[in-house]
Amino acid sequence: MSSGKSTAPGTPEVIVETRNLTKIYRDFWGRQKVRALKALDLTIYRGEVFGLLGPNGSGKTTTMKLLLGLLFPTEGQALVFGRDATDVSKNERIGYLPEETYLYRFLTGEETLEFFGRLFNMPAAVRRQRTAELLELVGLTAARKRQVREYSKGMARRLGLAQALINDPELILLDEPTTGLDPIGTRAMKDLILRLRDQGKTIIMCSHLLADVQDVCDRIGILYDGELKELGRVDALLKVRDMTEIRFSGGDGALVDEVKQVIERHNGRIHFIGNPTTTLEELFLQIIRESEAHPGRRVRGGISGDGH
Amino acid sequence: MTFRAAFFRKIAFLVVIAILLLPLFWLGQPSTSPARGARGGPGGILAQLRTRSGLSEAELGEIDPTSEAMRLTTLGLRGVAANILWTKADTYKMKKDWTNLSATLEQLVKLEPHFISVWRFQAWNLSYNVSAEFDDYRKRYEWVIRGIEFLKKGVRYNEREPKLLWDVGWFTAQKIGRADESKQFRRLFKQDDDFHGPRPLEERDNWLVGKEWFARGEELVEQGATLRGISPLLFFSDRPMCQMNYSEFLSKDGIFGERAKQSWSRALEEWLQYGDREFPTYEGGTIRLNDKERFDTRAQEIWEELEKLAPGLKAKIEQEKRARLRPEERRALDTPFEERTPEQQALAFEASRKVHVTHREVAQRITGPRRSEALKLAEEAEKALQMSSKIDQQRTIVNFEYWRMRARFEQTPQAIEAREYIYLGDEAFRAADLTRAKQYYDLGLQKWRELLDLPEFPQLKHDGNTGRELIDVIRNYQRILDARDEPWPRPFILQDIIDLHKDSVPDFEPPA
Amino acid sequence: MVIENLLPPFPQWFLPALGIWIGVLALVALVGFFLGWLVVALERGPREALVRNWQAVVQALDDFVRRLSLKRAHGLAYLAVKESIRRRVIAVFVVFLVLLMFAGWHIDPASREPAVLYLNFVLSSTTYLMLLLALFIGSFSLPTDIRNRTIHTVVTKPVRASEIILGRLSGFAWVTTFILVGMGVVSYFFVIFGLNHRHALPAANLQPVAEAPGETGTLTGLTAPAFGHRHRVYVDADGRGRVEVARGHYHSIRMIGSGPEARYEIGPPEGFLLARVPVYGRLEFRDRDGLDTDKGLNVGDEWTYRGYIQGASPAALIWTFSGLTPQRFPTGLPLELTLGVFRTHKGNIEKPVLGSIAVRNPRTGLYVETEIFESKEFAEVPEIKRLFVPRTIINPPSVQIIQRKKNTVEGIVLSPPNEDVRMELTQKREFDLYEDLCDNGRVEVWIRCIEPGQYFGAAQPDLYIRARDASFIVNMFKACYGIWLVTLIVLAYGITASTFLSAPVAMVATIGVLVGGLFRDFVIKLALGQTYGGGPFESLYRLVTQENVMSELEPGLGTLLLKMADVIARGFLFAVASILPPLGQFGWSDWVAHGFDIPWEHVLIRTLQTLAFVGPVIVAGYFFLRAREIAE
Repeated sequence: MSSGKSTAPGTPEVIVETRNLTKIYRDFWGRQKVRALKALDLTIYRGEVFGLLGPNGSGKTTTMKLLLGLLFPTEGQALVFGRDATDVSKNERIGYLPEETYLYRFLTGEETLEFFGRLFNMPAAVRRQRTAELLELVGLTAARKRQVREYSKGMARRLGLAQALINDPELILLDEPTTGLDPIGTRAMKDLILRLRDQGKTIIMCSHLLADVQDVCDRIGILYDGELKELGRVDALLKVRDMTEIRFSGGDGALVDEVKQVIERHNGRIHFIGNPTTTLEELFLQIIRESEAHPGRRVRGGISGDGH
Repeated sequence: MTFRAAFFRKIAFLVVIAILLLPLFWLGQPSTSPARGARGGPGGILAQLRTRSGLSEAELGEIDPTSEAMRLTTLGLRGVAANILWTKADTYKMKKDWTNLSATLEQLVKLEPHFISVWRFQAWNLSYNVSAEFDDYRKRYEWVIRGIEFLKKGVRYNEREPKLLWDVGWFTAQKIGRADESKQFRRLFKQDDDFHGPRPLEERDNWLVGKEWFARGEELVEQGATLRGISPLLFFSDRPMCQMNYSEFLSKDGIFGERAKQSWSRALEEWLQYGDREFPTYEGGTIRLNDKERFDTRAQEIWEELEKLAPGLKAKIEQEKRARLRPEERRALDTPFEERTPEQQALAFEASRKVHVTHREVAQRITGPRRSEALKLAEEAEKALQMSSKIDQQRTIVNFEYWRMRARFEQTPQAIEAREYIYLGDEAFRAADLTRAKQYYDLGLQKWRELLDLPEFPQLKHDGNTGRELIDVIRNYQRILDARDEPWPRPFILQDIIDLHKDSVPDFEPPA
Repeated sequence: MVIENLLPPFPQWFLPALGIWIGVLALVALVGFFLGWLVVALERGPREALVRNWQAVVQALDDFVRRLSLKRAHGLAYLAVKESIRRRVIAVFVVFLVLLMFAGWHIDPASREPAVLYLNFVLSSTTYLMLLLALFIGSFSLPTDIRNRTIHTVVTKPVRASEIILGRLSGFAWVTTFILVGMGVVSYFFVIFGLNHRHALPAANLQPVAEAPGETGTLTGLTAPAFGHRHRVYVDADGRGRVEVARGHYHSIRMIGSGPEARYEIGPPEGFLLARVPVYGRLEFRDRDGLDTDKGLNVGDEWTYRGYIQGASPAALIWTFSGLTPQRFPTGLPLELTLGVFRTHKGNIEKPVLGSIAVRNPRTGLYVETEIFESKEFAEVPEIKRLFVPRTIINPPSVQIIQRKKNTVEGIVLSPPNEDVRMELTQKREFDLYEDLCDNGRVEVWIRCIEPGQYFGAAQPDLYIRARDASFIVNMFKACYGIWLVTLIVLAYGITASTFLSAPVAMVATIGVLVGGLFRDFVIKLALGQTYGGGPFESLYRLVTQENVMSELEPGLGTLLLKMADVIARGFLFAVASILPPLGQFGWSDWVAHGFDIPWEHVLIRTLQTLAFVGPVIVAGYFFLRAREIAE
């Protein structure tokens, strides 16, 4: 692909693309310390909710920081909206919710949003309106005059989300969006992500909370030890093709046809016949196990997907 | 709201801090010396209480909260800070920035209030070095006084330091009294209301004020304070010397008669008291300056006692010794003192040493039952003579005998009159009244003659100091006569003085 | 006032200074570019490094010129202000108040120049506190943001590195401005109250003036002491009084009541706080043979500030003033002179040494003596003798034509030359300053000592025309502005250092710049080898071996190596010194304290100097910030 635009009609627009993206951390003497990310190739399209999965230290936050330009790649390239990730102007269209909400504790909720609004060169009126809307959206209107230092973790998280949305971004990067949220907050966050997707925004999130990813992501990439182990649509990845599962009740367990016949004969009801799915958790653990057994190999074993 | 509450809490803290500082301000404000004007306040409560109870920092001197604070805030780097200030003071001195020099010295002594050398060195700097930088004698005087005030402040911080008191005395007495500008300085000192305060005019003399400070120093030593860096002999001599100098300056100021006499009599009295003081010697033991005569008399008495034990023995031994002299030595010895040639002088000196008979020699020649008594006497005499010579050494250091004689003869009516006439003569000469100048001088010289002839002071005409002084007088007389075109009188009334002392004043040409 | 480094006039200063600035800047930029290239080239090869570096430069231009958003910078400035408030920088102000409260006790109001002490104290404590503040907030702010990762949220917004640095700088500049204004106002009142004193004047102190038969009823006497001094007071028969100047100030006096019950009230001190506007001339010396020299004699002072001339000889101190017009000084020249007097013999102790003042036309050589004066060195406080050269000089004590003699390679050159001497000029008895003695607004003022064996000494700033008095408050404001400039420089260095160093290290580095800047003259001397004991290596050797600084080292290979190492070290020192700001020269407290108006020209020069340092430092900070990874 030569540009961020789609190559063919019908193919969605590419928002993020990494080529051979590699990050090596070095110590003071320039000796290699950690190879945090190894030759990552990734393409994310407009309107997707993309999840980056991986255990701690697998390189998902590194990827995110490389995409944001907070880190510089050792090799390869990260393109956001077709521009180099270190280009500041891409930030105009990006919203970022950091892992922990890094906000100035001495500002109030309202001041925080005002401040970040200013950084987007927003006219004062727009800024005020946006601030009010977002505070309402994340439910902090009542707490808008309080300093962030007095916020609970959940409140700070919600304010963090609000600041990420202050510029009505096209691309939203969420680093562990649901940590620190209670179940209701988590639900609301997931709903919001889905709503944003419905508005046509592209969302990249990384998380180790598999249920969250499963609920909202269209596609996921699984990173382990800096390498991309799996990439694909969530539904496809979770489909098990060479197995048939029959779920029925009241039967005593014979061959499928016989069972069918028996069921029909006994006027029984068939609940489900088809390909069963596994859970993301199982998939994830399987990939980790295989990666440990065969390091350096892209996992395409028992569970195959139709990824790109 | 919590924010508000926190805000008000902080404000409250600030207010409380400020309120707490106020009593500190009220309590701690230092007092300022009202003598020099400044604010002249009694200071804060602490300062007032301190003054009332005579309290001082570990008996050292004044406590000053700022000084304490400064020393604390240097966090153990006081020495470094003091060094920096010292260098700064030096730079200011070099660049003649006197205002900042004074201010830096103030900081320096706040930092090191008990470092005596700082006070002494910098006071010297102000009174002697800085003052000399000025062209106007009034400014010079001002800086001499600044140095003295600086020392006095040092005294307040270091109440147990006799050396500082002595310095105040020395600066007041000697810097003002002996400077080239002493005439102007003494005049300004008398007029300095701010320095003296209520002190009556006739006591505003640098010598008398200096004497007070020397006296305070002496008192402190007598109370047991240790004296460092100065020998007690000198330390205690300065107070009585002030009285001497004061008496001497009275005549320069034209004050004679009873006041002069009393002053000299007081000087003598104090000098003799000084002579009664015991001083340690280098070899151990103590001496009193007054005791020399007693020891000499005792040695003389013992000669008489030995003479009684063995009549004529001493003379006999002397004869024996004389007999052993070489003929030229004997000749030299027999020649009267004034007629000896230089070689004879040396020979006579050598010979007199050879014929000298000691008590021990006489005692050892005595035989029989009185021998042990004689030896004991000889030993006593030897000790007495030893003491006498020790005392003699110490006397020379402070010129004890000269001043004792001086204080005595200055009290005689002849001396007082002589000085008055010479003073009047000088005044007349300055006013170009040559006739009266000569008259006064003639009278003055007459009185000097009478004084020199008094039997009480046989040594006076041989005394170098007096001699030099008289040669000066004679020289002025010469000038007066020259101005009047008069011949030199023959015989001259003080011819013996000219003969004895003509060489002691370098550019004196005896009248032909 | 002593001014050891007098700034040249702006037109003479500007172009050379600009040239040096551009030169140094270009050099630094080149070195920076090369180092940047080297670092990248090691990783990505020389060609790519060149491309990347070039892109970075283009990007920088873009970030500073095209894309710089004042709104964003303002937003960041606002954040910096908020941060400062949160960090309780206001505490500095409280410290200042406490300092004043307690220090007030220990400034000796009985000093000779209490105003100098008070003003020096407030201005220097303000300077120190502001520098301390700038050091802390400048070098701690950015690293704290990076450590707390709050910066992540900021740099993922469309914020340029240039805006981060400019925003911080301007935010902190606002904070310092605010605090400085507060300190300035408090200082002003502290000084006013500190210097305030009244003298009592008991009626008994007043005595009739003896030697004034014409003026019957005039009384005179001394006031009661206050602040260690007294004033002489004259009161005439109508009760109008006059208080003489002492310690640089005077008071107003008012009579209350009349007749025998009359009391006198003396007002607050006046004249302490001045802002004299001096017009300086150029000083040359003339030696005892009448030849021009650049230096006077040294009378044995370690400090060579003043040059001396011999009395009763052709020697003279000659100041040339230019740009004088009748419009500027319609009645004449009000001069103020500080004179050093050195006596080789005591003379009459009670009489001051006499001197003469004359004006000379530099073209015609017409020399008109206007006055014989008594040189009371240091007689007044401040130690300034006032002299006045009137516009019309009638029957002057002496009129001559004096030719200046210069020793050149071609021999002695006379000015004016013999053929131009017109003796008829001396025939007049009345001279006009501008018509007879000025040449195109140029005039020479000659000060000579007329007593044999005595010497006068002066430096260039010792004689000036007191053009007028400016507002003291404005002067104080200028001094505060000077402090502000220094604070700004320290802030800029602190912020830039903190873009690539951790907070404490950045602070130490900034302290290094600050100390180096204060002693920049010394560092340059060291770099140019004008100090004793050699360069750093030789000095170290001498220190270790306890070698005397004056003795030559033994020649040999070791010494040679030592000297070579020093040449390199000196080059390095010189390079460092040329990017150090000359902070030592920035202080204006002496001007204010001694009552001289800070020339606007100096304000302009210092402002430009500040910009000249702050600008490049910010750009350097930009590159450092761009070059580093924000996340770690």
